[in-house]
This record gives sequence, C-alpha cells and structure tokens, in this order.
Amino acid sequence: MTMAADAVPPASGPQATGTTPVFVARGLCKSYGSGDATVHALRELDLDIMQGEFVVLLGPSGSGKSTLLNILGGLDAPTSGRAAWRDHELTGADEAALTAYRREHVGFVFQFYNLIPSLTARENVELVAEISHAPMRPEEALALVGLSHRLDHFPGQLSGGEQQRVAVARAIVKRPDALLCDEPTGALDVETGKLVLSAIGRANREVGATTVVITHNAAIAGMADRVLRMGGGRIVAIERNARRLAPEELVW
Amino acid sequence: MSVLDRKLLRDLWALRGQVLTIALLVAVGVAVLVMSVSSFLSLRGAQEAFYAESRFPDVFAKVKRAPRTLLAQIAEIPGVAVVEGRAGGEARVDWPGAEVPVAGRVLSLPTSEEKLALNRLRLIAGRLPEATRHDEAMIHAAFAEAWQVRPGDEIAVILNGRRERFRIAGIAHSPEFVFTSRPGSPLPDDRGFLVLWANEEAVARAFDMQGAFGEVVLTLAPGASEPAVIAELDRLLLPWGGTGAYGRRDQPSHRFLEDDLAEQRTMAVTVPLVFFGIAAFLLNVVLGRMVEAQREQVAALKALGYPSFQIAIHYAKFVAVICLLGSSLGIAVGAWRGVGMLENYRPFFRFPDMPYLLPAWLPLLAAAASFAVAMIGIFAALRRILRLPAAEGLRPAPPAAFGGRVLGGVGRRLAARTKIPLRGLLGRPLRTVLTVLGIALAVPMVVLGLFWWDALDSMVELQFDRIERGDAFVALTDPRPSRAVREMTLLPGVLAAEGQRIVPVRIRAAQRSHLLALTGLSAGAELRVPRDADLRSVPIPQEGLALSRRLAERLGVRAGDTVQVEVLEGARRVHDLPVAALVEDIIGFTALIEIGALNRLMREDDLVSHVALRVDPLAAEALWQRLAERPRVAAINVKAVWLRVFDEVIAGLVLTSAVALTGSGVIIAVGVVYNSARVALQERGWELASLRVLGFTRREVSRILLAELALAVLVAMPLGLVLAQWFVGLILGARDNESYDVPAVISTATFATAALVVLGSALASAVVVRRRIDRLDLIAALKAGD
Repeated sequence: MTMAADAVPPASGPQATGTTPVFVARGLCKSYGSGDATVHALRELDLDIMQGEFVVLLGPSGSGKSTLLNILGGLDAPTSGRAAWRDHELTGADEAALTAYRREHVGFVFQFYNLIPSLTARENVELVAEISHAPMRPEEALALVGLSHRLDHFPGQLSGGEQQRVAVARAIVKRPDALLCDEPTGALDVETGKLVLSAIGRANREVGATTVVITHNAAIAGMADRVLRMGGGRIVAIERNARRLAPEELVW
Repeated sequence: MSVLDRKLLRDLWALRGQVLTIALLVAVGVAVLVMSVSSFLSLRGAQEAFYAESRFPDVFAKVKRAPRTLLAQIAEIPGVAVVEGRAGGEARVDWPGAEVPVAGRVLSLPTSEEKLALNRLRLIAGRLPEATRHDEAMIHAAFAEAWQVRPGDEIAVILNGRRERFRIAGIAHSPEFVFTSRPGSPLPDDRGFLVLWANEEAVARAFDMQGAFGEVVLTLAPGASEPAVIAELDRLLLPWGGTGAYGRRDQPSHRFLEDDLAEQRTMAVTVPLVFFGIAAFLLNVVLGRMVEAQREQVAALKALGYPSFQIAIHYAKFVAVICLLGSSLGIAVGAWRGVGMLENYRPFFRFPDMPYLLPAWLPLLAAAASFAVAMIGIFAALRRILRLPAAEGLRPAPPAAFGGRVLGGVGRRLAARTKIPLRGLLGRPLRTVLTVLGIALAVPMVVLGLFWWDALDSMVELQFDRIERGDAFVALTDPRPSRAVREMTLLPGVLAAEGQRIVPVRIRAAQRSHLLALTGLSAGAELRVPRDADLRSVPIPQEGLALSRRLAERLGVRAGDTVQVEVLEGARRVHDLPVAALVEDIIGFTALIEIGALNRLMREDDLVSHVALRVDPLAAEALWQRLAERPRVAAINVKAVWLRVFDEVIAGLVLTSAVALTGSGVIIAVGVVYNSARVALQERGWELASLRVLGFTRREVSRILLAELALAVLVAMPLGLVLAQWFVGLILGARDNESYDVPAVISTATFATAALVVLGSALASAVVVRRRIDRLDLIAALKAGD
C-alpha cells in the first residue's frame, strides 16, 4: 500500500531527495517489560523517509534509535502503531515475509561487522549476491568501498576498518533499496571511520539506496540530508543540511 | 556467599541443558563402572563365603576301589590338612518328565555321628537323611528347582544296573556343584543332571564299596605345595586304579565357575573402562568448549584483578557440581542395576547366599575418577584463556585464521553458502577431528552391547552346526569293540553312527599342563568335523595331534612342536606326540587324534567309548528311551539339549550385561550427537543470526549448520564402525576363558542398528537445532560479538 503524499504529517515534510516517502511510521510504540519495570523505547513516533534520502538518527543510548532501525529493518515488531516500506506493511507481517523483505530490499551494516570468518572478503559479498535478484559483481561492490586489493583475504586478515568496508560492500552488492547502518563507525577510529562513511555515502549516491545511519557521534550528521535527533523514544528535533558534507570534511 | 559463587549458581542454571547432558554422561560412565564391578565383587564374595563355609577341597581324585585304611596314609602326606574318602558313581535317573534320559551322580554321606568334613552341604529344604534309613536321600538344589522337586517326593535311580527308589529328605547346595554338568557335556545342565547323596551304606552297597572308597578329596595345609601333594597322592592311589588327582583348577564346577568369574571380571573391568574412557573423552571435549565459550568472562575477571588461581577454583567448582550431580545419579543407578544384575545371575550360580556387596571405595573411586577426568577437560581450555593478556581475551575471539589453501581451486566453483560448512570443518582440523571422533565413538557404544548376540549366534553356528554335526552323543559304560557302533546303527531312528574313543589325558608342554579329554576320531568322520580358522575341514592327522588353537596358545605350542601326553586311564602311559594341526573350537578345549593311533597308544584293540549319532527327528524321543535302557550306555548327550542349555546359561550370563550395556550405549550415543549439534549451534549462533538478518531464510541458515553436522556424521560413521570392531577385539582379547570362546563377530544388522541409532540421534538433534535456529535472537546478533 502506498501512502498518499498529503497524508504525511508536517513534522516530517516533503524531502528534497525524493517526493515519495518509502518508510512510513505512524504512532510507533515499543515497550519492554511490564508494570513498574516497563521500559518505553519508542513513544508515539511518526516518521517519513523519502526515496534516496540520507538520514542520520542521532541520540544518546536508550533514546530508541536502535529500536526504530530494527523495526524499519524488519527485525523487530512495535508494540503498537504501524510501519511500512513502500507497499510492504512491516507491522503484523509474518517471519517469512520479513525475511523476504530484508532479502530483497534491505542492506545492513552492523557495529561489529558480523562477517563470516570462514569466508574471504569476496566470498562474504558473494554470499549475499547469491541470494539476490540483480546483484552487482562482488568485485564491483568491493571496488566501490576501495577494497579491490583485498579480495581473497579472510576477515581475520583484515583490519577493523577493512572488515567494516567488506560489510558495506556486502550490504550494497544486492543494490538494496534501503541501507540500514547501526553504529557503523562505533568500533573504529576517526580516519578509518571516515573511509567507511565515504563507502556508505557512495552507496547512497551511486546505488540510490535510501540510507539510515544510527550514531551517537554528532559529527556524522554533516553527511546527511536530514538529521533526526531522538530522545526518550521520540524525535525531538529535525535538522536539514543545506549541503551534505563529504566524509573527509567531517570534523570530530 | 561470594559473588563468584552466585555467578556459579546462575551459570549452572543458565546452562542447565548442557549441565544436565554432561552430568548424564558422567552418570552413565559411573553407573556402568559401579554396576559391573559391584556385581562381580558380589559374585566373588558369594563364592569365597560359600567355599569357606562348606570347606571346598583343594585336591580331588578317583580310584577304582581303595580300602579305607589308605585314607590314614593319605592324611600323612606332608601338606595335607583334612582328608575325606567317599563312595560314589555315575547313575541313570528314571525321571518320567525328561525328554532326554537324566544322568546322575550318587555320592555317599558319612554315617551317623560323623559329619561331612569337606564339601559340607548347605540344606535349603527338608533335613538330612536319617542315619538308619537307606532309602532316604538328599538332592542338589539345581535339579530340584529345575523340576520343582520337594522333600517327600520319590526318585528312582539305576545304580550299577539295579533300580533303587529314594525318598527325598532334603535339598541342598554343594560347593562341588555350583555348576552341574552331565558327564561328557562341557555345559552345565540343571534339568539333565541329578546329584544325589545317600547314606554311606546304601551307596557302598550299590557300588560294591563296603569298607572302601572310590573318591577322595582333601584340603591343603597353609603353604603346602599342591603339585607335591598330587604327585604323592597319585603314587599312593596308582595301585588301586587311580586316574590322576587334580586340583581345583581342573574340578569341573570350579573351572566353569572360575571361567565365568574371570569373564565377569573382564567385563567388569574392560567394558566400564572403555565406557568410562569414551565418556571421559566426551566430557573433556564438551567441558573444554564450554569454558572456551566463557573466554570473555574469564578475561574480564582477570582484568578486574582476580588471580588466575581463584578463577580456576571457580571453574573447578562448576565442574565439581556437574560431577557430583552425575556421580550421585550414576552411583544410584549403578547400585540399582548392580542388584538387578545379581538377580539375573542368581539362577546360574548355585550359591546358597548371594548378598549384594558395594564396598565404599567403589563409588568414591568412580566419583573421583569422573572429577579428575572433567578437571583435565577444563584445564587445557582454562590455561589457554588465563595465559592470554586480559585485553586480548576481552575482545571477541578473533576470527579463526583460515588459510587461503583451504579448499583451494575446487573452492572457486562452490557457492559461498556451501563453503561455510566445508571451511567450518576443514579450517579447524583439530576441532573437527574431536567432533568426528566424538560422534564416531557413539557407534561402538551401541555395538559393544549388541555384538554379544552376534557372537553367540556365531558360537552356536560354529560349534553346533559346523563342528558337531551329529544329533546325539552316547557315552558307553566302558570301551567296547567297534561292532558296538554297527549295532547302534541298527536301532530304529538312527541314520548314521560313528564311534569315538575318548580318554582323559594331561597334556604338558614345558611348565604348562592341561587336563582334558583326548578324542580319537576315524579319518573320514562326518559327525564331528574339525575346522580351521577359515572353517575349512581339517583332516585328522595320521601322526600326532590336532589341538585347539586356544589350547595351543595356552600351552605355548605351535604346529610342529611336541607335547607330552599322559593318559589318565589304564596303565597311565606317557607319550611324546607332535602337534600336527591346529583347529578351532568354541566350547571347551579340543584335542584330537586318529582313533587307530589312540588305540595303539593304549595298546588296545579297535575300541570305542562314545558313539556320535545322526537321528531321525521323528523317532528321536523313542530312541533316547531305548538307548537309556541299554546296559552299556552310561549317558546320552543330545545336541538339542546343549543348544537349549547354551541359550539359557551362556547366553543368559553374557546377555545380562549386554542388555545393560546396550541401554547405556544408546544414552551415550544420543548424548554425544546431541551435544555436538548444540555446541556447534552455540559457537555459530551469532554467525547464523547475522545471516538471518542479511535475509537468509531459516531453512537456508539451518542448512548451513546442519550440513556441517551431516558431514561430520558422514565421516564419523565408517570411522565408528572401524572403532567398534577395534573395541570388540580389545574387550574379547582381554578375556581369558577356556570354557568357551567368544568370536569377534559383528553382524551387518548390529552395525546397521548402531548406525541407525547415531543417525536417529543426529536427526533428532537436527530437529532441535532447527527449532533453536527458528528462535535465534536477531537483534542480539547486531549488538555484540558473542
């Protein structure tokens, strides 16, 4: 089902990158536990993310950003409210539908890379290419992240930054519609982090993947079309960058 | 309670599934050990108690007829403690219910005031015969139980051709007859053999032994030399027709009993050792991995300033709890099954009392051994982790270093998904070897219990189908000219008859000797066919002996060597004879010679002492009765009875433990395979969850893990079959039993069953693993590296 543009609430507004919202969330709530111990990770959250947009979710630990990303990635279900990807209703979908959604549309990049240690860089990327409809060649994806010279190395033989770039290549090889990154530079130093961010930026531009990056590093916000600051399970502020900075220009 | 102890309790609870399976592994190892050793010790204890209480003699001898005055001379032989002479002999029993005529042994009880000095009877029902009554008797409990005979019943016995009726006064156990077997039969037979004791006068009159004795038994003084006493006794008895004195070692019941106890001891030691060894190995692997999985916790404790020693104590406690759980369960089950096993032995071992003995050291030893083994298991893993600089340990384990050569050129053509399980196995060879070995060991666990059935089948086939081809075996009262065979051929129902000459001999080679029956066979004998190891028939050598391979091993001789043969009958001549051929046998030891050659050695004519018969099954029963009535027939052994006895006694004895072992084996097999699958899942859970996040379906992810398990099982299976064969050989090689040999035969069906148990466990484990994969926490995979 497609959301009509006029149904979009003013809080999000139409975006420069695209006019069609691809991610739509309405009244999202997520709570854990019960009674006095209840933790509200998300409270009545509304959100639209446009086609091809680069969004940075900024916020302290516990602000709800990971929960939001997990729901958008089809890994978690909200307690109430709804979330959709284009015409895919994510709330209420069964496990098989969510798996198919992740497989066909979403590329993930994790804080701890989550590479398969027994596969080389090329094979880690191939792994995803094998289950995709019209993937790039794995070598091409690795070239995009600047790792053409490390194709046949195992994760154990790569640095942290290189491993994370392999993870980015693995995420983009399927030409995903959405690229979801959870603290992609969290475990990396500044310079290495910039290399990874530049790989994510290229993927967003060249593959056209709608990109959502979670971070608590405010410096990364400069790269985004739009920055959503989260706190207490809500979006507390929205900033739009007039110009997206290149990763090299970021200062942190 | 310290914080570490609280962590201990919570860890135990969190890992309860694994804790339980490991404890079960410990329990099975301990249970088998406790069960086997305690039931053996109980048997041994019962034997020792009975022998002591009833004063079982040390030396036995028979004479044709010697005056009682000779007993005083015997008592003066240096080293002799107590001497007792008695009258006795073979008898036929007129027992209407028996399909095959019952053989009997009649022995005298001392008159009136005198009590039995040796071989004291243990009365279990009724009373002793009154001293004045010549028509009262005691009978042995084995026959009484087999036929439900009670005091007050009557029994007719043909003594020396005269039919005598006895009223049964009492029923008793005797240390001479813990196992009772009819003459000529290597196997005990409760239904076909009666032991009867009557007052001396009655027996002496029947056997024409007034004022004389026909058998003498004696005990040795402490430190006396048995061979010296036997030599002197033989010298004294020779003029009176002595047939050679012998020690306990050659007393039939004792020999069979010792062989059985040796068998039980071997089983009680080797089998639990193999079981315990395998369980220990698995414990080692499983615990090692479990500690490995706690690497970051160990590093964190170390980083916080806990000394290595304290961390090691913490994990030792963890293992101690598991071992305590497992040992307690194992000791309880072991003692329970030990009692059960002793109950199963009760019908075979004719001991008056058979209390269950569980000495305190046994469960303590078993528990200590399991703890030691488990500690070794965690020691290597702990040391590895404790040696790491804390910082390194705190990071997630580095991805294993996979070399580029793994899979090599073939790898290029495979899908990345296929490479994960392959590299999982090939990239960590040591771990793979341990996993495969663990699963492979599950196969022998099952086979070790099951193969006994195959071995017994094969024993029956070899002994009763290939070697003994006749249906019955008739013992004559004394050697007869060979026309006795032709006469027997004429009896209705007899299809073929072949004469044999059997004489008791002692075979000596260097310091070793063995008492047995030397069988003279005619060259073309068809009812008794000697076979070699390949089951080809071996012709009776014209010169020298054909010896059982097992006997040759015991005597330390080979084909071509010469042995000394002392004939224990007639003039008791001694001959040196070459061993011309070796033959296979299963029950007892075989020594064969050409019948003509034997008769020449005896300096006798063409004589036979036994006749093998092939019989028309329809006429068999009538034939047994007809044979029983013939005056020259001493005993009839029927193959069908042997087969029944074999099934009941040997199979019963052997299978008692086999059933228990099969059960334990299956538990271990299932546990091993299940644990391998669970550990693999534990180690790979994070990787698999990551794949799920990337869009792999549950089925695809399960396949990756299960392919690894399947490959391991596939490699483990043939290895397991080889190991099973090896373990069976190991256990049988440790046997030392002359009563019967157990061939290392494992049938295809047994292998198939073992394989199915392992495959079944693998399949069931796969289902469990699959369900766990369905429940993988995908979000957790994004958060942390473990």
